[in-house]
Parts: sequence; structure tokens; C-alpha cells
Amino acid sequence: MNQVIAALQWLADGANWSGPGGLLARTWEHLWYTALALVVGAVVAVPLGMYIGHTGKGRTFAVGVSGAVRALPSLGLLTLLAVSMGLGLGWAVVPSTIVLALLAVPSLLAATYSGFDQVPDDVVDGARATGFSELQIVGRVELPLALPLMVGGLRAAALQVLATATISAYLGLGGLGRFILDGLSVSDYPRMLGGAIAVGGLALAVDGLILVVQRLVVPRGVHVAVGPTDA
Amino acid sequence: MIRFEHVNKTYPDGTVAVADFSLEVPSHQVAVLLGSSGCGKTTLMRMVNRMVEPTSGDVWIDDDRVSDLDPVKLRRRIGYVMQSGGLLPHRSTIDNVATVPLLGGSTRRAAHARARELLELVGLPESVARRYPSQLSGGQRQRVGVARALAADPNILLMDEPFGAVDPVVRNELQAWLLQIQDELAKTILFVTHDVDEAFLLGQEVLVLRTGAEVAQQGTPAEILLEPADDFVHHFIGGSRRHLHTEVRDGRRLVVDADGRVAGVATDPTGPA
Repeated sequence: MNQVIAALQWLADGANWSGPGGLLARTWEHLWYTALALVVGAVVAVPLGMYIGHTGKGRTFAVGVSGAVRALPSLGLLTLLAVSMGLGLGWAVVPSTIVLALLAVPSLLAATYSGFDQVPDDVVDGARATGFSELQIVGRVELPLALPLMVGGLRAAALQVLATATISAYLGLGGLGRFILDGLSVSDYPRMLGGAIAVGGLALAVDGLILVVQRLVVPRGVHVAVGPTDA
Repeated sequence: MIRFEHVNKTYPDGTVAVADFSLEVPSHQVAVLLGSSGCGKTTLMRMVNRMVEPTSGDVWIDDDRVSDLDPVKLRRRIGYVMQSGGLLPHRSTIDNVATVPLLGGSTRRAAHARARELLELVGLPESVARRYPSQLSGGQRQRVGVARALAADPNILLMDEPFGAVDPVVRNELQAWLLQIQDELAKTILFVTHDVDEAFLLGQEVLVLRTGAEVAQQGTPAEILLEPADDFVHHFIGGSRRHLHTEVRDGRRLVVDADGRVAGVATDPTGPA
């Protein structure tokens, strides 16, 4: 219990918040690594998920790859990439972003293709028969209707990446993981625990923010009360 | 005008959906494809707007062979109404109706003005314009579906069991309404249904189809009723239920079927009472 109180005291100390190695700066770094990984992950997963969801092809492939990627141990992969890429510590952000982006891919991919998949067939068929081109079906029908699920996937991915981004510190990068790693090496447990609490708090804040976005992207007409079904 | 010339459709697994089908629907006429589910009637209809490609044979609309036309442009000039409505759930009624003019490059203002006209034509109140499909009744949704199909002022309307999912009272209402607007609009309509009464009510020409879209009989409703081509047609259109005679009961002259069930009241003033 003393350790927790000490950690909270450490967090409450304004001196720990300021400066280039302070909590504020580290939080921004942490958010930056997370955002970068999410963008890279989305660039890979979203178009692929849209293709799979729209055409119905490659679903088995996606499920298999997602499962395999999920099973990769992040820290091991990070070490392997850092060593084998030989970019040096100056470029440590490259292997770290790859590892974190891989973590984001399965959630984003699954959310995108299931989002497209749950658009009713008769809605897509009706749009096609009315004269929507395939691209217009994707952009104006499937995407808006899939967006709430896709943002749900982003939420899951963001949490996972944000929590795991602590391992970037292992390669000498910044982020909130610094406090945990540095605290460990000098047996400064309040600092270590304080860093962990900060990661948890940040995760909750980001989760809440994306939840709001998720509510906002639900198209009108989809969540409104259903009226009488007979004329 | 819609013309099918020796059209065939065989699926890769060998199922024959359509075998050597030919038909000409003259302009401004309503032709009905009548058959049980799975007989290939919807497949035939979807060949007109290239939602299905025939394995061989040609479909023509007016002077164009549809296979020579770009499918997307072709679909924008043909109205399509489906059983489920197929409306976009995330767009308001007016936006759903304005869809095709907007896709065709109309301004939003012009497309909405056109959509408003159409909502009036299909008998929907102004208040419906801002609502979403999930807030409409089944009958209203079908009217919106028809309005959307008419938005680009197509010559041809394809209607795939458009009133199949609404209750009988609303269905009767919609059928009467369709006849009424067809008087005004005079579109070339290909109508698909499995409902015999609906087919005879709406169709100037009715095709009774067997499995494989084989034409069992083609003719006006009167021709089919008077001279069913064979047992299949006879049974399909209701068998002996269609053989009516009059009988006097309690001083009133009734129309009665072969099994003695009353089908209606005779109001003909001449003849024995």
C-alpha cells in the first residue's frame, strides 16, 4: 500500500511533470508513437478490410493472418527487428512503430470487414441496381454504414497499442515507458508505478474520446426509433 | 420497348435458370412474369439492367442492345423497385429519391426539387421527406421505392414483387395506385410476381412461367383464364376456383365456384334472378 501512496505522491509532485523528461512531455511522446502506429496499421488494414468486406473474398486469409499476428510476442519481435534491421538507435522509432502497427492490424482489419459485411445485401443490391458504381457503393453506402464498427475497431486497437507502446522505451525511445524502465533499473518503485498509473489514465482518456467519436459517426436514420411497420 | 432474344442462363454448377426465352414488351405496356419462386422470373428481369448477364442471347431496350451499354449508365436510365425497398438506411426519404439525379450530376437543389415532385406524385405527405426509411411504414417505403425508380424519368420500370412484403389491405391500395399512375405515366413496365390476382390485375400481357423460365402460357389475363394452355396453367391460376357459375340463394343471385363456395354477388340486371 505504501508503494501506491508513494506513487501517487510522485504523480502529485509538479516537478515530475515539467521539463523534457517530465510526465507531460512523455505523455505527448507516448501519444505520438500510438498515433503513428495506428495510422500505419490503418493504412494496411482498412483498405484490405474494405476489399474483403466488399467482395467477400479472402476472409479465411484475413482471419488466419490476424490470428497469427496476434500471437506474436511484441517484445521479442521488437528486439528481433531492432537487431536485424541494423538501423541503430537513432532510428529505433522504425522497428517500434512496426511492432505497434502490427498490433493494431487485427482489430482494425476485423472491424472493417465485419462492418462492411453487416451492411444488408438488399441495400447494396438496391444501390447497384439504382446505378451506383462499385466505388460509389463502397464510399457512399458501405463506408458510412460500417463506420461505427470501424471506429469500434480503432478503439480496441488504440488501447492495445497505447498500453504496449511502453516497450518503445526498451529501445531508448521516450514515452511513458521510460518511467517504468528507468524506475526499474534504479529500483525507484514509486516512479515505476507512477508511470504505469499514467499509462492507465491515458488509456482511459483516449478510450473515452474515441467512444464519443464512435457515437458521433453513427449515421442518422440508423439509430433513430423505428416507427410503425404497417401503413 | 424491351426485347429478349433467345436468352439463356446457365450457372457454373450447371443449373439452368433460363432456357431459350424470347419476349417483346411493347412500349407503354405492363407485362407480368408470373411464376413460383425459383422459376427464374427475377433472373430474367435482372438481365434487363445487367444485374445478371445472360450466358447467351441478347436483351434489347428500344434500339440498344444492353450488353453494348455501360451497366452503371444503363441502370440509371431504368427504374428498379424491389420487394424490400432497398432504400439507403442512412439517407432521408428525400435524399433516397434524389439519389439517381444526384449520381447523374444534377445539382442538389434541382435533385431535391425533382424528389419533392415525385413524393407528391406517389402520394406521400411533405412531412415524410425528412424522415429515414426506418421511420416509415412498409407501404410508405414501397412508395418511396417507386418514387426513387421514377426520379430519372426512365422509360422502363422493373418491378420485382414490389408489393410482396406489405399486408393485403396496403397491397390492394398500392396496386390500385400503380394502375392509376400508370395511366398518367405510361411507362414500359416489366413486373415480377407470384400472385395470380396481382398479375391479372396489373398485366396487359401475362407470362405464366415454369421452372427454367419456360413459358407455359403467354396472353392477356382473359385469354389465360378462358383457355389455360395445359394442366399446369390451369392449376397455377387457381384450378376449378376459376370456374364460376351463378346460383340463386335466398332470393339473391350469387357467383359460386365449382366447389359451391361463394365468390361474389352477381349485379348483372339482366338474366334470371
